Amino acid sequence: MFEVITLFLFNIVIYSIPLLFATSGEIMVEKSGSLNLGVEGTMAVGAVAGYLIGCRCDSLLAGVLVSFIASALVGSIFCLFTITLQANQNVTGLTITTIGVAVYFFIGNALGPKWPAMRECERLVNSISAIEIPGLSKIPVIGKAFFSHNILVYLAVIIAVVIWLYFGKTTCGLRLRAIGENPGAADALGINIVRYKYLHIMAGSGIMGIGGLYMGLNMGGTFEGSNCWINGYGWIAIALVIFADWSTAKAIFGTFVFGFFNTLRVYNMPLATTFPKTLGWLSGIPAQFFSALPFIVTLIVLIVSSIRSRRHGSSNAPTAIGLNYYREDR
Amino acid sequence: MRFHLVRRSEVRLIRKICLYLAGIAVSFIIGGIILSSLGINPLSYYRDMITIGLIGNRYPGKSVEGLLKLFVPLLITSLALALAFKMRFWNIGGEGEFIAGAILAAVVAFKLGDSLPGPVVVLLMCIAASVSAGVIGLVTAHLKVRFNTNETLMTLMINYIMLYVIKYLGETKADWNFFLREDSERPIFAKFPENAIMDGIEIGNFKLLYTVPAAILIAVLVYFYLKSTKQGYEISVVGDSVNTAKYAGMNVYKITVRTIFLSAALIGLAGAFTASASGTISTDITNNVGWTGVIVAWLSKLSVPVIGIVSLLISVLQYGCQAASASYSQIDHNFADLMQGIFLFSILAADFFANFRLVRVHTAKTEPSKASDGGSGKDV
Repeated sequence: MFEVITLFLFNIVIYSIPLLFATSGEIMVEKSGSLNLGVEGTMAVGAVAGYLIGCRCDSLLAGVLVSFIASALVGSIFCLFTITLQANQNVTGLTITTIGVAVYFFIGNALGPKWPAMRECERLVNSISAIEIPGLSKIPVIGKAFFSHNILVYLAVIIAVVIWLYFGKTTCGLRLRAIGENPGAADALGINIVRYKYLHIMAGSGIMGIGGLYMGLNMGGTFEGSNCWINGYGWIAIALVIFADWSTAKAIFGTFVFGFFNTLRVYNMPLATTFPKTLGWLSGIPAQFFSALPFIVTLIVLIVSSIRSRRHGSSNAPTAIGLNYYREDR
Repeated sequence: MRFHLVRRSEVRLIRKICLYLAGIAVSFIIGGIILSSLGINPLSYYRDMITIGLIGNRYPGKSVEGLLKLFVPLLITSLALALAFKMRFWNIGGEGEFIAGAILAAVVAFKLGDSLPGPVVVLLMCIAASVSAGVIGLVTAHLKVRFNTNETLMTLMINYIMLYVIKYLGETKADWNFFLREDSERPIFAKFPENAIMDGIEIGNFKLLYTVPAAILIAVLVYFYLKSTKQGYEISVVGDSVNTAKYAGMNVYKITVRTIFLSAALIGLAGAFTASASGTISTDITNNVGWTGVIVAWLSKLSVPVIGIVSLLISVLQYGCQAASASYSQIDHNFADLMQGIFLFSILAADFFANFRLVRVHTAKTEPSKASDGGSGKDV
């Protein structure tokens, strides 16, 4: 019985980590006042680039770096169009998703049988084996579930905490938030808006890319012609940003909740058979409902929070989100 | 050397056209480089793409039919999205509204298809689809105007919820599920009754479905609706400035809700057309038209006649890539998505160069008198 709970919790972590990467990245982007709808495409490019180079070099570090750089470059395209060329953010983001996912399929189809197999890269496989944290991993039930994961899982949590501290405690982070709230005022303070936005959007996009790579590695690195590795996770991440109220600390909790939904979809049967009395009803709920649950919950959160902020006037959403800043329009 | 941007006060048409043509040429060159990297001759690929498999085809009528089946939903969806975008309402829920329309059309088809005459069934399907999709638009518009809920994210979520609804219907074998074939073990969507399938005019071995003239009629109506009716004028005023509309005594709530209802209802109608034309529904019935529609509407600058042309060209691109991929194994129809994106980016860049001017900033050191001048623009 405890094994089922441990396995369940373990899988929640597995499912929530790519979301944590993507959500942390998107929070960074949105705090600068830009709404990047291209998360899905950015992750797809990072995943495919990181995986291919990671396998070629047989090194996880190379894979992570390349996925970060590739996705940061995709982020720079978003910056180029929305910041420098003043194009609409929604349209640019959607196009990045279209292109990014197309690039994923394009490279996969072009390589065909030459697509590298992960099991042939021993060092890469070894470096994503579980690392047991001494002491903590010995705790019954939750030790195995939370403190025995591969290095990318810990990296995701560290990144989320660092971003949280960055926005709360450092001058740079506070300045970036000022840009997201009121770019005109930030400009008047002498903050170089263009440079700040470029750097942070690129960094945020790069973090999304690592999440994409994690998904690819999690799926065993096989390319399927019909399904993209990312499979809608980019959109869930955009939803999670709202759910987490633009805070990466809350995002750790939020991704866990969404990972829980996803794990329910896969593990509703074992749960129902192990606890027939209390959880037997789970087996009657269709899998598609669990898949849709993240989106339903976000929709409700979105509506409720907007009604609440209309009444009380409080939300952590950057005020200038989605609006381009052109100095002469002030 | 530093530059800053200056918005052009007026843009000459000829300059715009030249820039757009240059953008399209650049896109084709980028596409050609990608094709060459795969060892494909770009010229012969483009030729196969543009001729959409008509040359050397014994049944050219089928190719045109296939092309029109892509064109009709794309045209209607892009028009509908343009209506919403004109008001700066970011309805990116095309996918969800399309699916909602298709599902409701299927309900009518399965429940009433056997008992009513053909035209009546199809008409009822269209009405059911429009109303159901329209209600989604109505609710989102209400929330947007009353509570300022972010409509982009709201409609985005609905896309996925509707996708899983249609997946649920398509993957669940049950007694109540009349959407599926009864004689199949595996869940497969059933074919509509004969009466619910869209008819057309036979010209030789080519069948012109009634959806094509209907879609063109809708385009003409939308054009005149926006151009010469009071409601169309109200849309453009609200889009320009909500405050102006309020001072002019317009009821912004009513205008927004009405327009978004119309926008979503048209997309639902496109869903009904597609379902009826193919005689069934499927989980990928939208063919990404909700996303592509955004790109088409934006490429066309929300102008109705241009949307007509651009959606036809994008349909040729999509169908042509499908047709061409038959002879090139290294590449599939995803190349069409790639090209769409590249086109859009080129046009966005062309827009920038049409609307802005780069001016060299004289640094304060060399010419102190101009220093204040440099502050008025954006540094690049």
